[in-house]
Amino acid sequence: MAKSKLPVFPSETLIHKITHLMHDGMDARTSGEFEIPPALGDARWTDELILSTWHMAATGTLPDNLNYKTGESNGGFDRLDFKLLDEEQWLKHSEDIKTSIPLNRRGDHRKKLSPAIPIYGGGMSYGSVSVNVMMSRAIHAKNWNTYMSTGEGGYPEELYDCRDHVITQVATGLFGVEEKSIQAAPIVEFKYAQGAKPGLGGHLLASKAGEEVAKMRGSVPFVSLFSPFPFHSTYSVEDHSKHIDWVQTINPDALISVKVSTPHDVDMVAVGSYYAGAHIIHLDGGFGGTGAAPEIAKKNIAMPIELAVPKVHKFLIKEGIRENVTLIASGGIRTADDIAKAIALGADGVVLGTSDLVAMGCTRCSNCEGGPSGRGCPWGLTTTDIELQEWVQQEWAVKRLDNYYTALQWRLRDILRKLGLSDVKELVGRTDLLVYTRSDLK
Amino acid sequence: MKNAEALLDSRRLMNSRLPKFELNEDDAAEGGCGVVGLACEIPVAGRHLFNSLEQMRNRGNGKGGGVAMVGLDHEQFGVSPEILKNDYLYAVAYLDDSVRKDVEEQFINSNFDVDHTHEVPTMENWQELENLDAQPPNVVCYFIRPKPSAVQKFLSDGNLSESDFPSKKAMWDELLFQNTHKLNVEYYAKEQRADAFVLSHGQNMIILKIVGYAEDVIRYYRLDDVTAHVWIGHHRYPTRGRVTHPGGAHPFGQGVDVALVHNGDFSNYVSVKDYLGQRGMEPLFFTDTEVAALGFDLHSRVYGYPMEYVIESLAPTGELDFVMLPDEKQEVYEAIQKTHIHGSPDGPWFFIIAKADGLTHQLIGITDTSMLRPQVFSYQRGEVGIAFCGSEKQVIDAVLESLSSEDKRFWRRCDEYWNARGGSYTDGGSFIFDVNPDEKGGHELTMSNKFGAIVDTHPEGNFEIEPAAMESGFDWPSEWTAIDIFPQIVSTFPAFDWPAARGLLSEIGSHASQHSRRQAVDLLCLLLNRKYDTGTLRTSRWLDCVEDAIMGILNHAGTTPCEYFSGQKSPGHLPEPQNPSQAIVVDARPYPIEGTESLARELVALYRTGWRNFVVTHCHGHRFIGNGFGMETSDVRIDVFGSVGDYLGSGSDGMTIHMHGNAQDQVAQIHKAGTLVVHGDVGQCYGYGAKGGRLFVQGNAAGRPMINSVGSPKLVINGTALDYLAESFMAGDPLEGGGFVVVNGLQFESDGEISELDTPYPGGNLFSLSSGGAIYVRDPTNVLSSSQLNGGEFVELTDADWDVIQPLLVENEEHFGIPLARLLTVAGEMQPPSAVYRKIIPLKNKALSVEDSWAGKH
Ligand code: SF4
Repeated sequence: MAKSKLPVFPSETLIHKITHLMHDGMDARTSGEFEIPPALGDARWTDELILSTWHMAATGTLPDNLNYKTGESNGGFDRLDFKLLDEEQWLKHSEDIKTSIPLNRRGDHRKKLSPAIPIYGGGMSYGSVSVNVMMSRAIHAKNWNTYMSTGEGGYPEELYDCRDHVITQVATGLFGVEEKSIQAAPIVEFKYAQGAKPGLGGHLLASKAGEEVAKMRGSVPFVSLFSPFPFHSTYSVEDHSKHIDWVQTINPDALISVKVSTPHDVDMVAVGSYYAGAHIIHLDGGFGGTGAAPEIAKKNIAMPIELAVPKVHKFLIKEGIRENVTLIASGGIRTADDIAKAIALGADGVVLGTSDLVAMGCTRCSNCEGGPSGRGCPWGLTTTDIELQEWVQQEWAVKRLDNYYTALQWRLRDILRKLGLSDVKELVGRTDLLVYTRSDLK
Repeated sequence: MKNAEALLDSRRLMNSRLPKFELNEDDAAEGGCGVVGLACEIPVAGRHLFNSLEQMRNRGNGKGGGVAMVGLDHEQFGVSPEILKNDYLYAVAYLDDSVRKDVEEQFINSNFDVDHTHEVPTMENWQELENLDAQPPNVVCYFIRPKPSAVQKFLSDGNLSESDFPSKKAMWDELLFQNTHKLNVEYYAKEQRADAFVLSHGQNMIILKIVGYAEDVIRYYRLDDVTAHVWIGHHRYPTRGRVTHPGGAHPFGQGVDVALVHNGDFSNYVSVKDYLGQRGMEPLFFTDTEVAALGFDLHSRVYGYPMEYVIESLAPTGELDFVMLPDEKQEVYEAIQKTHIHGSPDGPWFFIIAKADGLTHQLIGITDTSMLRPQVFSYQRGEVGIAFCGSEKQVIDAVLESLSSEDKRFWRRCDEYWNARGGSYTDGGSFIFDVNPDEKGGHELTMSNKFGAIVDTHPEGNFEIEPAAMESGFDWPSEWTAIDIFPQIVSTFPAFDWPAARGLLSEIGSHASQHSRRQAVDLLCLLLNRKYDTGTLRTSRWLDCVEDAIMGILNHAGTTPCEYFSGQKSPGHLPEPQNPSQAIVVDARPYPIEGTESLARELVALYRTGWRNFVVTHCHGHRFIGNGFGMETSDVRIDVFGSVGDYLGSGSDGMTIHMHGNAQDQVAQIHKAGTLVVHGDVGQCYGYGAKGGRLFVQGNAAGRPMINSVGSPKLVINGTALDYLAESFMAGDPLEGGGFVVVNGLQFESDGEISELDTPYPGGNLFSLSSGGAIYVRDPTNVLSSSQLNGGEFVELTDADWDVIQPLLVENEEHFGIPLARLLTVAGEMQPPSAVYRKIIPLKNKALSVEDSWAGKH
């Protein structure tokens, strides 16, 4: 595993001491032992949302006295609520309320994949996060029979243990993309642009592109790496379909996911992707992104996912192909309530990235690029610094993710039963079950 | 035009009187496309485009196909030569036949004298064409002349006078244009009724289009035997699913005498539409191609710009290329760019235009400034001259294959294939092929570039093939190997006539059957791939014969396997190799180009059966060859013959691939290890994201080679690259095992001699935004300037550099016979490497230097 390759620094004692303190600190915050730190969170990821995520990750249950449903952005998901039935019409809370979704709706010969929950893990590449974080997410995905994406930094050898649950991403830089990882993948994800930075491509500064990262990407240590904005070989839908054919020549069994950002003509992009051969259309809206996405980019370019999802959903219906494709939403989805709202707006499921990080201890401090030291996240999440990455211990992190998803699933079932639905698939596109709340009524 | 403003005013007036209509913006989407165009000295029948279009289907999706023809046969339209020459051919598509009477009354008979009406014949039952979802429209051709009364009305309605126009024809053209617009508003756009629309309006030209594939246009309208001097065939790939109207298919005939098709899309459709709107033009069909057709018509016919300026207004010259233009041109171009920038389509596109220009039949190909769409130009000049442009080489070869099978004046290989360099000072990114009447009553093809420079090379050599002599006269030793005997053949070859040369091929053929197929094929490959003096023979035709000879030998491998070659009995047949070095010959023809049943997957299946050596023959656009083999394939060798498709050798991890001819786009994408040798040119995006391996290109690379490469790929290009070479190159230091590109900047003369190109690299973007690796350019006279670099710098070549590149150049010599000694020879003198090669390395990006220096220290 990764650790055997690393030098014996930092010492076991130090790791133990620091992680112990960190974990205790986190638990102390959520249990209400201390007051909420004044600078924690922002309007979208409020202090209460961060703390409730930590609570769920620690206990697998919903917190009693924290708002775990919405943030305070005054827009989007935060202004939507459910039209719940009267209490006497609620279904009983039960494991029988189905949360599984099929990913291959094309009806072709390829794999029939059905994750247990309408969620899988979004791409966070090796380099932007450590192997520990990737492995934790992969093992967790395996536990939940779902998937996580490599991001574009290549496929660390360790991940092959979980190969049936790892999505290989093919992004514009083509870093670390090789036939082996395409052949191993149940799903191959094409990333055309990401919502947090549409039009900007990806970048990894030289300081974070150290030995291990460079090896994975087939590059050279400490050379800054850029992913171009477009695929240089893909300037039209026809190229796009050729690109998909390419991957299918290498792995004829894999499902194809096309991840696109949400420009105003996203509906047309989605239809084009379907005709080019996609099984999954993954819309990445404007509010995702780790702290590495430039602030101005994170907020201002793409269409919010709350607008993009219904637009695409309706257009796919109009084109008569909605039944044949899986629509996945990501970008700024924080809570089980957000998930249910995204589905009611027209998605089949969602991709989570940031929330996974928060479950593992992220404070949303936006220091992912690591400030002047360049070492990355002080909590050991978005870093490949040999010392810092040790603060995330796999066993601990997997447990936290599992707990977190248990709570998400519980809350999802809770919403479904209160809407009188016994299957998450029945919720798709049910905008009639949503209400727009006034800003003065929180 | 004498008074363009008056004319545009008259259009505004016209619009103000027309019924208002709702725009159906739903149809505004456009994807990529597949296209082929040809211009020929003799009339070419529609059937010859058939295979070409069918092989290119994967570039369309069956939602729009069309053809354009210029230079028609009067008999096939039932008119006299005079009527064909003097009248306008007004082609109207009727989706609803019941409106025909009204259309004729309102828009044809009232304004024009109709000399003849020709209903385009169709298949009886459209449902026989399984790819069609809807019946194609009935098409009626009216051969018309404007009535004097209609001319008077046109002038007075539009506040125009005859003196506003330079000629009667110009006046009639505009009348026709406005008539068409009114007809289209009334019967197509208004209330989205889509009952009838004008396909084309011009002299001696017609457009036909359907919702379907282009080859079904030929089938449905029975064009198999219908001839034209200029053809365009186009598959559309609209991005919306339910496009059920042929009005949106290409070609677009909005321009008078013009048919325009387009491959790609614009990102500034709205801006171009507004630009046209300000000039009184309202698009009705909501595709970017329609606005392109209108823009072209505006600039060429209304503003009367010469073709050069029209092209400049579409594909502006930029960056270094602009600076390289003569001062007078800069002045004019700047004015054009300033005035028309909003009408200039931005984004990936490749236009092909067929134009009837008086007695001239014209084919024009224009590529966008950034060269983002695939494009290839070519010509063959035998007894009959023919020129092509298209999306890929194989679609051109397919037309030639079809023509040559019927007409011995053609053969299967063009004299030259090339890519245009978009928006450049060298060729302007466009070529114009004119078919003009000659004195002898026939036609003559001339080829020029954007600047009007005639590019006809009229290659030398006798193309009139003759039967083989009993003996070639070549003195064969009793024992030989290909590499030893080849120089001897080359030295005697210039004295060979056709009988001797073909006699030589029969002698090699009998060597194959009596001694060794391997030796024979090796020798023939040298004769096919190497550049040498073919003496009195036309090179392209000779090479056609050589390739034929190779195929003659390999085609028998299936029925009579030998120690060296075996073959398949039929597709799906997976025999086992008899020995580890035996090669399996796979005839590509029966296999689909992509998909689960494709040739590429069959090769993987054969690999899994135990084969390690593959010879792929008769490719016609087959994609992904060598893909899907997985990791560690250093024991694999693939030889490819024919017109290969995209993604050759992508992802390969150790295999050796020899492409015996030109390769296409996306070759060696994410190439990891191994050797890829292309005995010809390569297309766009060569080595995109490559991580390693050794890559050799005998000729040129098109745009964006080695973009985003990382690690240690090593590439030798013996010609040059059009632009954006090694953009965002992120390889390691070449002196520490990292990657690099060697550009030799050479060309081969027709006698096989090597000479220097005017510049080893013509583009304005060399090594842009790179953060690692190096480029070594053979530039002994310092032609390149630092203005071509964007984030790179020239440095001295050291001995350590030479130690790194020399072994590669030695291997380069083995592959292509380009002597290392010749590379170091400048003006007849041997020079030290540092006087011949220049090294370019990335400038440290200032914005990142703080981070980098921190990283370097830690
Ligand atoms: S630096 Fe770490 S804690 Fe801060 S936002 Fe990034 S991942 Fe979260």
